[in-house]
Amino acid sequence: MTAGAVDNREQAVAGPVRLPHRGTEPGARSPQAALAGSLVDPGLFGVYVHVPFCLTRCQYCDFVTYTGMEGLRRPYAAALLEEAALAVAGLGAEPPVATSVFVGGGTPTLLPPDDLARVLGRLRQLLGLAPGAEVTVEANPETVDEAMAEGLASAGVTRVSMGAQSFDDRVLAALGRVHDAGRVGQAVATLRAAGVPAVNLDLIYGGPGEDAGSWAATLERAVALEPEHLSAYALTIEPATKFGRLVAAGRMAEPDEDDLADRYDTACAVLADAGYGHYEVSNWARAGHASRHNLTYWRRGRYLGLGAGAHEFDGATRRWNVPGVPQYLEAVHAGRRPTDGEERLDPGQARFEALALRLRTVDGLDPEEARALGVDPDGQEAANLRAAGLLGPGPGLALTERGMFLHGEVVARLG
Amino acid sequence: MPTDLSRLRNFCIIAHIDHGKSTLADRLLDLTHAVSERNMRAQYLDKMDLERERGITIKAQAVRLAYAAADGREYVLNLIDTPGHVDFTYEVSRALAACEGAVLLVDAAQGIEAQTLANLYLAVEADLAIIPVINKIDLPAAQPDRVAREIEQVLGVPAEGMLRVSAKTGEGVPELLEALVDRVPAPAGDPGAPARALVFDSLYDSYRGVIAYVRMVDGRLAKDDRVRMMAAGHVSEAEEVGVFAPEAVPTPELAAGEVGYLIPGVKDVRRVRVGDTATTAARPAAKPLPGYREPRPMVYSGLYPIEGDDFPDLRDALDRLRLNDAALVYEPESSTALGFGFRCGFLGLLHMDIVRERLEREFDLALITTAPNVAYRVTLETGETIMVSNPSELPPAGSIQRIEEPYVAAMVLCPADYIGPVMDLCQGRRGELVTMEYLSEERVELRYQLPLAEIIFDFFDQLKSRTRGYASLDYEPSGYREADLVKVDVLLQGEPVDAFSAIVHKDKAYGYGRAMTAKLKRLIPRQLYEVPIQATIGAKVIARETITARRKDVLAKCYGGDVTRKRKLLERQKEGKRRMKQIGRVEVPQEAFVAALRTDEG
Repeated sequence: MTAGAVDNREQAVAGPVRLPHRGTEPGARSPQAALAGSLVDPGLFGVYVHVPFCLTRCQYCDFVTYTGMEGLRRPYAAALLEEAALAVAGLGAEPPVATSVFVGGGTPTLLPPDDLARVLGRLRQLLGLAPGAEVTVEANPETVDEAMAEGLASAGVTRVSMGAQSFDDRVLAALGRVHDAGRVGQAVATLRAAGVPAVNLDLIYGGPGEDAGSWAATLERAVALEPEHLSAYALTIEPATKFGRLVAAGRMAEPDEDDLADRYDTACAVLADAGYGHYEVSNWARAGHASRHNLTYWRRGRYLGLGAGAHEFDGATRRWNVPGVPQYLEAVHAGRRPTDGEERLDPGQARFEALALRLRTVDGLDPEEARALGVDPDGQEAANLRAAGLLGPGPGLALTERGMFLHGEVVARLG
Repeated sequence: MPTDLSRLRNFCIIAHIDHGKSTLADRLLDLTHAVSERNMRAQYLDKMDLERERGITIKAQAVRLAYAAADGREYVLNLIDTPGHVDFTYEVSRALAACEGAVLLVDAAQGIEAQTLANLYLAVEADLAIIPVINKIDLPAAQPDRVAREIEQVLGVPAEGMLRVSAKTGEGVPELLEALVDRVPAPAGDPGAPARALVFDSLYDSYRGVIAYVRMVDGRLAKDDRVRMMAAGHVSEAEEVGVFAPEAVPTPELAAGEVGYLIPGVKDVRRVRVGDTATTAARPAAKPLPGYREPRPMVYSGLYPIEGDDFPDLRDALDRLRLNDAALVYEPESSTALGFGFRCGFLGLLHMDIVRERLEREFDLALITTAPNVAYRVTLETGETIMVSNPSELPPAGSIQRIEEPYVAAMVLCPADYIGPVMDLCQGRRGELVTMEYLSEERVELRYQLPLAEIIFDFFDQLKSRTRGYASLDYEPSGYREADLVKVDVLLQGEPVDAFSAIVHKDKAYGYGRAMTAKLKRLIPRQLYEVPIQATIGAKVIARETITARRKDVLAKCYGGDVTRKRKLLERQKEGKRRMKQIGRVEVPQEAFVAALRTDEG
């Protein structure tokens, strides 16, 4: 990693992000108290809002999303307002202010900008947003026109995360995307013109038709658009997707492990050269632009989850909503949270989860945190992993870039 | 109720698998009304589910049929069932020794098969009256005339007048019943002599203990008699004696000539072995009946629990199986690769499969089975001779004077068109042709001397596939021969994996080494480090593959804050890691051992 990248990272995510709370939380724990448990970062509180609508379903996608359902989109947006009230009511008299909001999908920009603005406005009203709070909306390039861009900017969106996926039209077609590479640039320009402060581009590598050259070209073209943030994901074949069915039927090969590793290495090198800090397995950012909402997940911050299929975490229990839109609407209209399931982690599970999540980030764990999770940073296993070049020199536990791509193996060994 | 000896007929049916023995037995039961229609299960004689699924008879059983013959008299026909597989030749010979006659049942479409022929020779040697019967004459493909000529050639009896039946439709079966009365001699035994009962089978019942199937040869055995097993030396009190009609029916006693069962009040089948002679303690016979033999394992394999914690359960399960299976031998052993397990000796491959399946099915154990091997006779430089039944225990080459391996005399029957492929196969397996004889214009009997080790690796499957299923095989041990054998070891990152060591002929060592290393490269997941796989003979590397280091193992996306799914996947991965076997620094999944040790794929 270049020195520049290290600098970025330090500025981007130096220590737990501490932000002011509204009032004094009765149950607020000091960072030390959190350490003694299983590393819940008390300074982070996010809201995730799920919008489960898409024009078409992409070949690799197994998310909670539905094509069609045009008639349900506006009622759904209205229901989000109601669920927000129900959820905040459940937080007690002194709910924390939100440090981030992330409206994801699906394709949130299939909702009219007014609806999105209303959802954000309701959250602001119910919870309040911390100063400098990160407000992200996911968008697909073909949905971003001037009206949308201006609507998002005026709604207070600080960051738009765009599903670019590739800049190779053949790859885009193979992935089942409806846009072409040129559309991404136009959308970014439109967002900039409207005054959206930050842009992320999502990229996928390892897709059909991609080769080393086309991936390098995709990275170059992405960097040329100067997004503040880049996410690059290895294509994962999920069973309940079109790709999954093709692989199961033997009509498509799973992405080759070595190819994926080569692509990852290329991404690390190209993005470091371009001045992006690699702060999490799949995420790179310019100084100060690491996604606080992402970090809320990795640092075990608390977050509300609103919308069909959304997940939330209150520091002890994880809950998730029903995935179906009609069921979601029915519950909310009846005045209930549409919770589908929950799990309360036992201390062992929580420690393992904290280890797994925190190791995804470049900061990893400092020695005290590691010990609090039951992992000896000076132990034999850690020494083996350092010798193998997967963990950095210490004194804490932090993955090298190579180690990040073998995160599962490292966690299984340390956990 | 001792039966008049002149009204008794003891017989068995010699037949190849699928030639209709069980169906014929059902028809005989029908015609003699031994089983009411309501209670009749199809194929009455096959008792165990496993047998039913495999369509073979493992445990001999006996059924007593009351038959009103055409001469106006009532006869008792004891049908003794015999196992139909090469692994159980000894058991067959004991069942034959309990009879005076045998029905030679041959499928009219298939003709005579090797096992049938082998068993027929045993029956002829035992001086039984043979009644040839051609079955399945109702089939469109039936060629009863051709089959009759084949039997004529083998048995030296005229083809004319041979019984032709359809066990399925019942056609010809009444004639067979008459033939049994007319042509099978009545038993000749001395009812007044000291008791001698031949144990031709035994099984274990969890309520009653061992149940011995016996043929009274001389004298009488009654309930409450003190019974001595002459070979085992064990004495116990007869809790019950009786006959099968066809369910067990207690009788006050069994007398010379009769076939029935004896419950000696014993909990361990090894005390009541097939071939042993039961006599009374009060008035013991001077000499046991001839033919008793200790069970002799032919094939060995290591059985290991996949979960190390299951070792005590495996031991208990084997102890329980042994109650029912006197031929099963085992002793504990340990493997650096597989942990604690047992080296087990079996009568043959079928016996091995049955034991393994029963352990998995009846005792719910998940097992790793090492590749089957034979027992080698090794003479050391010191002149000492040892038996090696686990390849990894072969002493270093330098200390060995010679190694001998067991041979079998094998008989293959096949259509004349397939002589070439069969000879190719046998030659490839180091076989020596002994004789070749035409049974008819179309069918040939080939006799070979073959190393047993060459037969236990997919020989039968190969034989079947090269002859489109038309060849049949039988073999029996024929002693030991010296051979140029070497031990091939397999090393992972320099660490030998004892479970993969094999003793093979020098000419085949490279092939084994290449196949094993390639297989392991396919089966072992990539590790954090590059892993060389080597096959070696002593210090010499004969094959090498490399598993390149793992580069990707990460879950890409945390979608919508769904941490739960991610954590569960990682928990599973961690759990999977715990279940890996550690060979040096290399982690090998249990499934890789299971798959690598399977003999049915390359």
